[in-house]
Amino acid sequence: MSNQSSVEIQTEWDIVAARQLGRNVAKELGFGTVDQARITTAISELARNIYLYAGHGKIEIQRLTNNGMKGIMIIAADNGPGISDVRKVMEDGFSTSGGLGAGLPGVKRLMDEFKIDTTQGEGTDIRATKWLR
Amino acid sequence: MELEESNNVLTGIVRGEIDAHTAPVLREKLETYQNEKNLEAVLDLSDVNYMDSTGLGVFVAFYKSINSNGGHVKLKGLSARLKRLFDITGLGDIMDIEAVGKGGK
Amino acid sequence: MVQKIDSQYKEILRQYMQRQSEQNLYDGQNFSRQLIAENTSPEEVISMHKAAMQEMYEDLPDVVWHSFDLLIEMMISYGLALQERESLLQRQEELRVEMDLAANVQETLLKTTTPSLEGLDIGLLSIPARKMNGDYVYFVSDQEGHAGIAVADVIGKGLPAALCMSMVKFGMDSLNNSRARPKDVLDVINRVVEKSIDDSMFVSMFYGSYNAGEATMTYGSAGHEPAILYRAKSETFSELNSKGLLLGVSPAAKYEEHTVHLEQGDLLIMMTDGVTEGRNEEGFIEREVIFELIHQMKDEPAQVIVRHVYDELVRMQNAELSDDFTLVIYKKV
Repeated sequence: MSNQSSVEIQTEWDIVAARQLGRNVAKELGFGTVDQARITTAISELARNIYLYAGHGKIEIQRLTNNGMKGIMIIAADNGPGISDVRKVMEDGFSTSGGLGAGLPGVKRLMDEFKIDTTQGEGTDIRATKWLR
Repeated sequence: MELEESNNVLTGIVRGEIDAHTAPVLREKLETYQNEKNLEAVLDLSDVNYMDSTGLGVFVAFYKSINSNGGHVKLKGLSARLKRLFDITGLGDIMDIEAVGKGGK
Repeated sequence: MVQKIDSQYKEILRQYMQRQSEQNLYDGQNFSRQLIAENTSPEEVISMHKAAMQEMYEDLPDVVWHSFDLLIEMMISYGLALQERESLLQRQEELRVEMDLAANVQETLLKTTTPSLEGLDIGLLSIPARKMNGDYVYFVSDQEGHAGIAVADVIGKGLPAALCMSMVKFGMDSLNNSRARPKDVLDVINRVVEKSIDDSMFVSMFYGSYNAGEATMTYGSAGHEPAILYRAKSETFSELNSKGLLLGVSPAAKYEEHTVHLEQGDLLIMMTDGVTEGRNEEGFIEREVIFELIHQMKDEPAQVIVRHVYDELVRMQNAELSDDFTLVIYKKV
């Protein structure tokens, strides 16, 4: 199971699977309990967005090494409607998922690096990275 | 406020105070009807005890869009205070308004 | 630093476990204040608690440690909500500063000079309910004793109203005629406003053209609160009604104009609905109350009367101003 590096998101159950995958990788890399919780919360949030707004997509978990530093990258990709106003969804107080109330600004806060690429009508690709300290 | 539509006739009762806080809610509700063609709207304002200029703006916007779509807006049950507001602003001359005590009970 | 906080917390916890005194709890409260000041998130606090417990009571069953893990997981969102709040507070502060600047710009932009006219004492007060004023007084005058005054009120308050008002000002500036007839002025401004603004935004305006040589005021109104005439001789107040639709509703609107002649001691009172629509727990403040306030001070200079009315109305409304307040008094002397 730890070899699997991605989870298809189609139902709400898949969110749990994506969390589990992320937690396993994070644990193996040596992240502590608090950071594990942050990483899985970020995964939850991204997977939920896919489930609620794109309907179908993928969460991919990558292990990173850079100059001896270890890290984890979450890639959330979908072919959904895309986000029309990225600046707006990245604003505090504009919560899209309504669930955790965190939304994308929350994901950005939980992780060290955050990149979003979205085209209306084509889909969204979000990459969020956390480095092990 | 209560709104009910059937056969292109919209009847509604508005209650309470219409001010800067409540006007946006009223506006939102009325806006759902403003693009309908030939709508006959009758709004009863008997239970409106206060309305400021923001509220007035909502009714004027509604009146303008309904009129431009070939419909008609009638406001009835206006208290003396509300009637004065419509008269001062000149809106009483262009809109169909009816004060309390006239045409009915 | 983290090490230091961890050991501080461990010490507080250890003492509490021993004594459970109020002093220990007070120490805990003070410590939490320090944690908040250092932006320590709730999940970190619980994690710190778990670590301290593990050091002191390593023999506790696993279920205890698992319970903390669930708690940590759950606190992440609380931590995010806290950070979001911080960021929103900062945004609010930025907006406040920006609004202050905008209010200054507005003040400079809409500045008008009260004319000095033979035989006329003018009092003027315009106070916004919020930062930006949706009321506006504009004067235009010449050396031959002619002066025009516009008293306008945008329906709506705050920033949108203020922006709209700038448009009225530029409309007036383009006319720049102290002898312009009220019905023509209202006609021109109506078309400016009609073309440019949103369907639910309107402006009411009173326009008066004063001739000092003849002591006459010719006035017209576009849906504005009627001006009041106080006759010194009979000590009576009457409304100066003039028909005309709000500006911006219809390009076809036509405006009337009327003329009054002022005698010694007469007052011409122009205002916005922020003066007449005052309310308190007992209900509306009736116009008669305002007349009475003016009557009490009728022998004072116009500015004193205006100030008195404002002070008293604010007092009656428990120091709250719910709408922009503008009052202008012309006193024939």
